[in-house]
Amino acid sequence: MAPAVVTRALEPGARLAASARAIDAADLAGRLPDIVIRAREVAASVVHGAHGRRRAGMGENFWQFRPFGAGEPAHRIDWRRSARDDRLFVREREWEAAHSYFLWMDCSPSMAFVSSLALEPKLDRALTLGLALADVLMRGGERVGLAGLTHAMSTRDIIERLAQALASAGESARAELPPAAPLPAGAKVLLFSDFLCDPAELADRLGRIAANGAAGALLMIADPVEESFPFEGETLFLDTDSRATLRAGRAQAWREAYAERLARHRDEIVRAAAGARFSLHLHRTDRPAAEAALTLSFALASGLERV
Amino acid sequence: MGPLALSFAAPIALVGLVALPAIYLLLRVSPPRPREIVFPPVRLLFDLLRREETPARTPLWLLLLRLAIAACAIFAMAGPTLAPTASTPFSRAPLLLAIDDGWPAAPDFDRRIEAARTLALEAARNGAAVAVLPMSEADSEPVLDDGGKIDERLRALAPKPYIPDRAAAAARLASFVAAHKGARVVWIGDGLEQGGAHAFADALVAAKNAGADVRILADSRIARALVAPSNRAGALEVEAIRAASDAASSGRVSAFDAQGRVIAQAPFSFDGDNRATARFDLPIELRNDVVLLRLEGEPSAGAVALLDGRSKVRRVAVLSGTSVDLAQPLLAPQYYLAKAFAPFAEVRIPKPGIAEPLLGLVADHPDMIALADIGVVPGEELDALTRFVEEGGVLLRFAGPRLANGADELTPVRLRRNGRVLGGAMSWDSPKTLAPFESGSPFFGLPAPEEVTVTRQVLAEPEPGLPAKTWATLTDGTPLVTAERRGKGLIVLFHVSADATWSDLPISGLFVDMLRRIAAESGASAAHREAGGAAPDTALAPLVALDGRGVMRPPPPMARPIPGDFDGPADRDHPPGFYGPADAPVALQSLRPGDELRRLDYSTLGLPVSTLEGDAPIDLRPALLALVFLGLLADWAILLARAGAFRVGAATAVVLLLALIGVAAPRAEAKDAPKAAAALSQRDRDAALVSRLAYVVTGDARVDETSRLGLEALSRALSQRTSYTPGQPVGVDPARDELAFYPMLYWPIVATAALPSSQAMSKVGLYLKQGGTIVFDTRDALVAHPDGPPTAETKWLRELTRNLDIPELEVVPRDHVITKTFYLLDGFYGRTVNGKTWVEALPPERKDDPGRPVRATDSVSPVVITSNDLAGAWAAGPDGRPLYTLTPGGARQRELAIRGGVNLVMYTLTGNYKSDQVHVRDLLERLGQ
Repeated sequence: MAPAVVTRALEPGARLAASARAIDAADLAGRLPDIVIRAREVAASVVHGAHGRRRAGMGENFWQFRPFGAGEPAHRIDWRRSARDDRLFVREREWEAAHSYFLWMDCSPSMAFVSSLALEPKLDRALTLGLALADVLMRGGERVGLAGLTHAMSTRDIIERLAQALASAGESARAELPPAAPLPAGAKVLLFSDFLCDPAELADRLGRIAANGAAGALLMIADPVEESFPFEGETLFLDTDSRATLRAGRAQAWREAYAERLARHRDEIVRAAAGARFSLHLHRTDRPAAEAALTLSFALASGLERV
Repeated sequence: MGPLALSFAAPIALVGLVALPAIYLLLRVSPPRPREIVFPPVRLLFDLLRREETPARTPLWLLLLRLAIAACAIFAMAGPTLAPTASTPFSRAPLLLAIDDGWPAAPDFDRRIEAARTLALEAARNGAAVAVLPMSEADSEPVLDDGGKIDERLRALAPKPYIPDRAAAAARLASFVAAHKGARVVWIGDGLEQGGAHAFADALVAAKNAGADVRILADSRIARALVAPSNRAGALEVEAIRAASDAASSGRVSAFDAQGRVIAQAPFSFDGDNRATARFDLPIELRNDVVLLRLEGEPSAGAVALLDGRSKVRRVAVLSGTSVDLAQPLLAPQYYLAKAFAPFAEVRIPKPGIAEPLLGLVADHPDMIALADIGVVPGEELDALTRFVEEGGVLLRFAGPRLANGADELTPVRLRRNGRVLGGAMSWDSPKTLAPFESGSPFFGLPAPEEVTVTRQVLAEPEPGLPAKTWATLTDGTPLVTAERRGKGLIVLFHVSADATWSDLPISGLFVDMLRRIAAESGASAAHREAGGAAPDTALAPLVALDGRGVMRPPPPMARPIPGDFDGPADRDHPPGFYGPADAPVALQSLRPGDELRRLDYSTLGLPVSTLEGDAPIDLRPALLALVFLGLLADWAILLARAGAFRVGAATAVVLLLALIGVAAPRAEAKDAPKAAAALSQRDRDAALVSRLAYVVTGDARVDETSRLGLEALSRALSQRTSYTPGQPVGVDPARDELAFYPMLYWPIVATAALPSSQAMSKVGLYLKQGGTIVFDTRDALVAHPDGPPTAETKWLRELTRNLDIPELEVVPRDHVITKTFYLLDGFYGRTVNGKTWVEALPPERKDDPGRPVRATDSVSPVVITSNDLAGAWAAGPDGRPLYTLTPGGARQRELAIRGGVNLVMYTLTGNYKSDQVHVRDLLERLGQ
């Protein structure tokens, strides 16, 4: 006998008003400071470092010595190493390249949802993770920006900067899909959303983003009730993004079909992501935020492309 | 019980039933409201199931359930009642209504008449003739008549103030049944056996056997009555009686005065018996004003008891010429007089040693003055007594040596005196007995027992009119009691003494009855007797009479005078009430003192019996409301189940809770009962099982700890050295704890502590009264100065004991038993040795036994006061080492302190036993001889 599940949209009154379908900006601004603090905590909990590319290249860190090849400029010879035996060695350094990371957090109404089984709303979780990762990346020497809102920057107060940009963003930031503008080649994209959108549209959008060669990852954030569907009895389901309602005579009878449908939807999302060579990670809001942050940071460390 | 008729208190509410179709429609179209769930992936569900769910229709059976609930509610608002109608089969046979109309039927007479009228009306509707046979009017033939006249006749019936004899009615019944074959007979009975109910029941059975249709309408309410009102010297009492134990088991009796005002009320309770006594504890003046007692809630003549002048309590002053022999009361005449007057009169005996006691007695305005053997009444006293008699007082005199020798005018007859008869009294060869009382005597009717003998008497001078003045004689015709009216008063002379020296009369029961009759002669009734000729066969005209419902009314025309010695019971010609002259009426009760009410058992008759109570309508509203409630509950449960939120656990809990509410509500009051029994705490239980020492908790932690350790050490010493093994000492709070279990309380005085409350002190006082002993220890011997001001502790103790009843105290003398109960001690030492110990003062040493080595009071001294800090000297730590240093010090002092404690405890436990024990050697020596 599970306790009755209670769900709520964060702005219940706004659901019916067409003009206020998006999250109230003031409300988000009011919650941002908390989110910023949580983001800092999450960032601090993620062990990070300048994630080397594990290959020789431009960088300061030693990578390997290799024999001096004929024709190479002589200044590359590492004399200290070469003095130890008869051959000449060249010190190779690890290739370090600052990347531009672009984050996108879904602020659509469907994100502003929390059930009694979750720790926090999906939106808060998305923002927390996004800002935390921005901090992690910035400390790793990368430049981070918000897709469609800011350019990539590298500044110590990256979290505050991004939060401010979010707070001052207009209606455009409330879209259900990431902005379609192509990102520069080599840029990385991190998308935080519940991806309850049309998979075809998402595939199209991801294709555009990756048009110039940008790579990225998708973090699908889900409320636990969205997976377990713990409803019973006569239930009227209310949509968050539209005024649609659905009456279920016996909600429990829908459970299996819903699970199947959800799996199919996720498959489609995965396929959409794969089509753009993006990786997909799943995160549930009844799990701690640090868990997802860690997963993502590992994914980043190993190179998003290979995930 | 016949068919049931449904009626409505508020039929207009039934209009609400019109709304049922509307309710039906409303319920049908409005589905139960679903739970609303905000759910973002709902669009997935849209893809999933295109089948549109229609709003759930309320199923028909649920709809019907709700309609039923609504209908029940509407019916309940209409206040339906289900009244059984006493129906009779359709019949044209004549109907005879036999109605008990004695006073037992009075309390619910209206209902009986109503039932009779219903029956008569029904019969009239069927075209049958009806006859009415009230038991009291059975001397006239019951006349068959049509409905209207019978109704009139029934309305005119009223309960009678007596129980009519049903024998005549039985005869009428038999003739009626014989005259009308197949007649119907209904007896509306009062349920009592009195008045020949058995005979009438037999007649009914006979009528049934003769072919009549016989029924009995009985009332389960059984009459109660009052009998034997008696105004005694102590209190006014009346007995309540009932016929069966299922009548009300308790009630109240109200006392009314002549003006009809309530003077007092007294409760009574039958307690399973059928006879109970109500007692009025009132001042004698108020009691004498009571003329009527009424059993509350029982409007019948039987439930009224009347009090007349005879039952007034007289005030009798008794004076004896021999007032010196008080030390031996059995020799004093006033002892016998007081005993004999006590049951019905208030006796006043002047204190000995008052000069001219007669004047004081007369000034008290008694109803009667009894002079036992006072011969000469000199000047002023004579005048006062004469005036007393002239104004209506009764002077009762008894003979004796002084009277025989004296001479005064206040005797009814002239006595032989002046030595004409030797010694003024005659001696007899064989004692004489009493002659039966003549009819003219007030004593007429009293038995003249053989065992009453007279050995001496004073003789009256033979003179004209002597027989008229004589109330009682001996077998040889010599007067024993003579009386004479003087003015309004009366002088009565017993020719024997008031003690047992001259005759057995004062120690016989007859004496009390004679005095009672004489007392009844006093006051106004005496005046009436004078006027009316004083003969008991004189008829007394009815003055006021009770009607059947117990209301005082002018006597009915058929009421006839009663003879003077008529003692009931009341009947048709002599209704209960007051008879005789208005200033001295005589009461006639409905019932005689020994009467009982007996219940008639209908069940043995084999006749159909129905009750009057059967008419009580059944109110359907509670049942309907319960149905509504249950229906709503069921509806709610169904809704929950359908919504999927029904959880067995919660539902079970709710149902159980509701059931509990229903079951527990009537029993809520019964829960208090075991509480009182539980008041005995575990601590009290322990204290009662094992005797132990106790100390009073002062609130000063150090002092309390010292007390505890000290008493523990003392308890150890007691266990080791004596046969007494006390339990663990406890600290007690006099305000809270029960003290009765502790033989000795050690109470160290802390001057800074708050004084105990007055309730606590009253408990302490009770403890001392019950034989407890408190050892107060002021612990101030070091700071106290023998002649100085009292220390703070001493002041505190004085304040504490201000409200305690403490006997005179003294410093323990050398020979006090407390110094010898276990050890032989010189004093009681604690941490100090110079403080004095005080106990209850001994009685002074008896002069005849100066050598007595030990003295004791009869009981244990309630308080022992010391200032030496005993507990401080006893107290030892867990390792057995003493806690406090002593002044002046030494192991010997500590040992003596312990010994003092042992002696104290032994004293409280054994009392003065040791003061006897010291004689044991002498006793053994004596026994040896």
